[in-house]
Amino acid sequence: MRFLLAMILLALPVAQAQQIEGAPAVNKPKGHVVYVPEGQVIAANKATTLVLHFSVEEGFHINSHTPRSASLIPTKLAVQDDPTANVRTVDFPKGHDYSFAFDPKEKLDVYTGDFALTLHVTAKPGEHTIKGALHYQACDSAACYPPRLLPVEVLFTAK
Amino acid sequence: MKRNVVVLAVIVLFVAGLFWAGVHNVRRRHAEEARVRNQQITLIPDGKSGSQAPDDDVPDLRGKQAAGFTLANLDGKKVSLADYKGRPVMVNFWATWCAPCKVEMPWFEEFNKKYAGQNLAILGITEDAVSKEEVQKAVSKTGVTYPILLTDNKVDTAYGAVNYLPSTFYIGRDGTIVAQTAGLGSKDDVEATIKKIVGQ
Repeated sequence: MRFLLAMILLALPVAQAQQIEGAPAVNKPKGHVVYVPEGQVIAANKATTLVLHFSVEEGFHINSHTPRSASLIPTKLAVQDDPTANVRTVDFPKGHDYSFAFDPKEKLDVYTGDFALTLHVTAKPGEHTIKGALHYQACDSAACYPPRLLPVEVLFTAK
Repeated sequence: MKRNVVVLAVIVLFVAGLFWAGVHNVRRRHAEEARVRNQQITLIPDGKSGSQAPDDDVPDLRGKQAAGFTLANLDGKKVSLADYKGRPVMVNFWATWCAPCKVEMPWFEEFNKKYAGQNLAILGITEDAVSKEEVQKAVSKTGVTYPILLTDNKVDTAYGAVNYLPSTFYIGRDGTIVAQTAGLGSKDDVEATIKKIVGQ
């Protein structure tokens, strides 16, 4: 009984330490779009999903994955091939309507604020890092910014 | 009793090992996440659009000699800034995907005609990576007839990286940059600045 109690008491910090791993990372925005990395745990060897959170700085917008005009640059995610963690597809959220004040009739399809992409993955057991890049083009109310690549590293554990 | 102490010691060592591994793992993951965060690019903070006083992250080129360039126009002909020596010149950086840019281009066309008597020249430099045909299509929609030049991806560096579009540089007859704007301003402001360079 005393052994059991001692083991529980000694195991408690281990459990606490493991809980820290799941705590959301604090990430102060640095620019127009930031990736909010977070440790994720998924089921190994099963078709499952990972969620990637991004945030567009207030006052800015980026085109959605399906902008209404062919001249606009869509938001895309490119991921590197990894034989131990296979990304099959990426789901992009729907955008929402936005119009510049100087052209209120023209409706754009954009992301503002927080948005999330869903990666459909199958991964072997272990820790993984999927590397990729978000390609996007941002504007504010009166200026646009050249297309950018935002490096993304998705850290997760498959158990 | 002695056996129990040994067993307890083994358990303590085992749990301590687990604890150490857990903490090490958490630290390593946090360090990795911090490294990922630090790798993220920092984009340009929002500037005062249309401002004639550049922000801290836009190099102030006013008073400096305008950088020379030779670029191809949509017909493939080479056009140099030097071709306009002695004339007031507006150099406007734009792109087909930049909606604010396409708002002011018809204004420029109007001013190009209005101030032709004062020898005003306007050069549009497209920052696009698309085909000439696609640029031509966008230009046709704006009704612009002044020269549209294709970037060589060096000219923007010469003009301070041009991270805001539209970006316009107003060059006086002596070749110095009199004013520069980033973002869409008002039509009145554009004309007022043109008057500064044509009046010199």
